[in-house]
Amino acid sequence: MESTTQVLTTLIILFTLVCSVIVTQFIRRRSTSFPMRAIPAYDSIPMMTGAAVEAGRPIHVSLGSTGLGGSSTPLTLASAELFYQVTTRNLSGSTVLTLSDPSALPVAYGTLRHAYATRRERLGNSTVRWYPNGERSLSFAAALTGVLGDDKVSGNVLVGSFGPEIALVLEAATRRRQSSIAGSADLDGQAVAYGMADQVLIGEELFVAGAYLGGSATQRGSIVTLDLLRWLLILAILIAAANSLREPVIQALTQAGGG
Amino acid sequence: MLSRLGSALATAIVIGFGMFVVASLLLGREGGQIYIFGATINLYEITNLLLQLTVITIAVTILLGIFNLFSVHLRRVGQRAGGWVYSVVLIVSAAAVLVLWIIGRQDVNRVLLDTVQLSVESALSGLIVFALVYGAYRMMRRRVTWSAVLFTLALLVILIGSLPLPQIAWLTDFRAWLLAVPVSAGARGILLGIALATVVTAVRVLIGQDRSYRE
Repeated sequence: MESTTQVLTTLIILFTLVCSVIVTQFIRRRSTSFPMRAIPAYDSIPMMTGAAVEAGRPIHVSLGSTGLGGSSTPLTLASAELFYQVTTRNLSGSTVLTLSDPSALPVAYGTLRHAYATRRERLGNSTVRWYPNGERSLSFAAALTGVLGDDKVSGNVLVGSFGPEIALVLEAATRRRQSSIAGSADLDGQAVAYGMADQVLIGEELFVAGAYLGGSATQRGSIVTLDLLRWLLILAILIAAANSLREPVIQALTQAGGG
Repeated sequence: MLSRLGSALATAIVIGFGMFVVASLLLGREGGQIYIFGATINLYEITNLLLQLTVITIAVTILLGIFNLFSVHLRRVGQRAGGWVYSVVLIVSAAAVLVLWIIGRQDVNRVLLDTVQLSVESALSGLIVFALVYGAYRMMRRRVTWSAVLFTLALLVILIGSLPLPQIAWLTDFRAWLLAVPVSAGARGILLGIALATVVTAVRVLIGQDRSYRE
């Protein structure tokens, strides 16, 4: 790793570490500090789970092609947290979890076993389903459209990594009058989800399910840390832009003064 | 009690190994050398070994996946659940591919992939366009907001601007500018947001605040 990159990475990690710890302690003492803006996708989850319980139909959650061991590992863990929150709200009903990267299977099983800790009998053998595919393969999307119909699901939460093929799944959900929440770390999939899902999660919203639905001090602390990092980044971009504009502006002013 | 102990142990292992790997990756090959009782230990080499173990463990999960695939679909066939015929097709196909691979007939596997899998996927990719157009129509019908109008206008400019017609050269230029400046800026903004959130989530896992891996 280049030395400048090493220093910057170390600084960012240290800053995040210190902020997470300090802000979490602060929120533990004053829980009303740092109000969070509303995210409609998270606000709609109680409605979705309520409708599923009333109809006696399962909720379908999907990780897409995220997995462990690569750069998408944090996204996999964040999506697992969202699915845990959805499943705990839907304990009277059932949940079907689909994924295409086998490395995410242990996380999927662990998440659902934890969610169904008090009602282990509801955790069926078909709750977690692996549909093999390559990156951006359409066969996974085709399999999901089958799940939507065969299991007569009530709602869909598709949060992870999806390409434009998510259009097929969302179109099938709309046709069957099933509600949908979607978000993807892949920009093509994200654009399609924005146009076709009932509710959409964009960018960093994919990672904050724990804070919005769990609400513990540590989870809320991560949002404040994220906001602080974002403001620092904005400041850095503005300073860099001003710095790059400085020379041309001085030259233009000098020429104008001379002329 | 045992469950709590197991959870604490898992957290301790994650924190310990996570911190070790991050520290040695940041220190690099040269900076990661430490001297203990006269012996030189390179942390970078140990990290490489740990990462190789991770890769091997992840590769083993494919077996878990195959077990899951057969278990789920055999159960569906046994219970005559909705769409069980498709499960039969899936089980037979998967078994055939495995058997062909075991007996060394990868050429037949290749033919199956080229003639069946690719053809079906090509047909499905053709359907995506219709699904997208329907999605744009549905979005405008559901709620006419500024963002929905902007989304549809941008979609139209990108689609029409791709046509090779000399009469709309100005639209082609506008499309190129749209993609190079506002779209690129927006995409970078989203990617930066994801990158920052990735860092925060990773640090939370490292210090044991996030325990998604626990039971």
